[in-house]
Amino acid sequence: MHGRNASNGEAIALRGISKAFGSVTVLKDTELTVNKSEFLTLLGPSGSGKTTLLNLISGAIAPSSGEILLAGRDITRMPPRERGIGMVFQNYALMPHMTVFENVAYPLRARREPSEAIRRKVLDALDRVGLNGFDDRKPRQLSGGQQQRVGIARCIVYSPAIIMMDEPLGALDKNLREQMQTEIKRLHHELGTTIIYVTHDQEEALNMSDRICLMKNGEIAQLGTPDELYFRPNSRFVAEFIGESNLLPGKSIAANSVAIDEAEAVIAPSSERGLGSDVLVMVRPEKMHICAPDADPPAGHNVLRGVVEAISFIGGMTRITVKTAHGVSVTAKIISGPACTRPELGSAAKLSWSPTESVVLNG
Amino acid sequence: MNRSIDLKVQSLFMSPAALVAAGIILPPLCYVLITSFQGDTGPLSAYKLIVESSLFRQTLATTLGVASISSVLSLILGYIVALHLARQHPNRRTVLMVLILLPFWTSILVKCFAFTIILGRHGIINNLLSWASGFDVQLPLVLNRVGLFVGMTNFLVPLVVLPVLASLLAIDSTLYRAASVMGAKPARMFWTVTVPLSVPGVVAGLLSVFVMSLGAFVIPALLGGPQDQMLSNLVDFYNRQVLDWPKASAISVILLALASIFIVPMALWRRRKI
Repeated sequence: MHGRNASNGEAIALRGISKAFGSVTVLKDTELTVNKSEFLTLLGPSGSGKTTLLNLISGAIAPSSGEILLAGRDITRMPPRERGIGMVFQNYALMPHMTVFENVAYPLRARREPSEAIRRKVLDALDRVGLNGFDDRKPRQLSGGQQQRVGIARCIVYSPAIIMMDEPLGALDKNLREQMQTEIKRLHHELGTTIIYVTHDQEEALNMSDRICLMKNGEIAQLGTPDELYFRPNSRFVAEFIGESNLLPGKSIAANSVAIDEAEAVIAPSSERGLGSDVLVMVRPEKMHICAPDADPPAGHNVLRGVVEAISFIGGMTRITVKTAHGVSVTAKIISGPACTRPELGSAAKLSWSPTESVVLNG
Repeated sequence: MNRSIDLKVQSLFMSPAALVAAGIILPPLCYVLITSFQGDTGPLSAYKLIVESSLFRQTLATTLGVASISSVLSLILGYIVALHLARQHPNRRTVLMVLILLPFWTSILVKCFAFTIILGRHGIINNLLSWASGFDVQLPLVLNRVGLFVGMTNFLVPLVVLPVLASLLAIDSTLYRAASVMGAKPARMFWTVTVPLSVPGVVAGLLSVFVMSLGAFVIPALLGGPQDQMLSNLVDFYNRQVLDWPKASAISVILLALASIFIVPMALWRRRKI
């Protein structure tokens, strides 16, 4: 984690920020603090309010209530050009009539820096994004990935306190996207800039972020490290949005016991929910173990019995779906082996998981 | 779609209109060209006499001067109008466009007479000024350069607005967001984003109004004074007053050549753009 999570000061703080367009509230009362040098991702489905949050910070729109503090300074009513924030756009937003050099020099010229300093900084920024020698090309002569590198160079060239990236890799194909993720992470590590990154791609968020702010319907659903969101989701929405999950509906019958489908009692981490309340026991498919009906699962595991309903071999992992006697489908993801090592379709199987690998959520 | 098939389909649909236009325009044009070589003392005599005449030279200078100044005036006015239109909500813009196009569709003759009523010695403007000041104001606003420029710009502004507006609306709005986040003030954004990206519309508009004003006839005849007559009026003069058709034809050919000098490069430039 490079010690970047250490709270060495707030880069930006949103205090009670909300935004409504007419009668439609697109962002409910929100508190969010981003630390210096942190990589924070705003993740969520479209319409969840992540872009609204980004536009509020950049100053493209004004909040209906609340205030925005940039390094402790109130910038709520400040026009975008005075905020000194950097922004990378999904469609690159490069000036089509300017060369790469002039595009990267643009923010420096707006700041009336001397031409010698501009030349030095622009070439350095282009060097950092791996575009040495591209300075006199026009944007249309570059590939999508190269154009976005120019977009990033144009940001880092004026060392803004915060760089915001609005789905910057959304227009690129998968391989290039992964390569660019690595490069953005490297730049973040080298420069130590605070980055607020917007995406709807959960893998991208998990791969890149120090913390993820998962949004839903104009609210923060959960804010935490990728680990926290993946292993300790706080709601069904988070569990389903990030990664795959088994959600077993049940009733809380004792302090740390849940009856799945009114039949099999399983041990689950204790929760403060009242006895008899509806709950969901969440287990990640890769934490599910599967074994033959006569084999013994590891000691202390919860066990469910059923019939193999579907098997899908998807490369490194194989997904096996087992239907229990009560009709609940449970998926286990196991490391692939040759066909002879997999259970047969329609055969009986035992599923098991360690209680510590499960999370109890509100039903 | 395949580009060559696309072109074939296009030419198929264009051909009837092209045939009709060619049938109507080419024969008289050829007739004019032939007549221009039928001077009294040899094939080029009409041209020689015309080029040597001080009336022609003076009128040519007036034509180029009036065309240049009215083009630039129309560009400035039209650009401002287009900028305003580009910032409106689409519904409102449609309404405003109709307000611009209605006078544009009105007969130029009708508009010229309307301007003589507005600008005349006892016209609306002078009457208003007299009423406001208490003196008898009779500003010479018509039958001179002022009247000519008012008429020309009124006629030409829509021809600038349309291509410039198209260029302005084609500018990606995230460029403005990007520029403002990067610290550019409105003036810098205007000069570094709006102006350079509207150049195609400006060039198209400027050339078309310049060529249009080279051939202006009704406006100088009705709103200009004797000193403001342009080449088309000179053609009319030789044609109807002097009855010297070779000279009238020679001036027409020169006017056509002059317009082509500007139109041909524009057509090539636009083709390159597409």
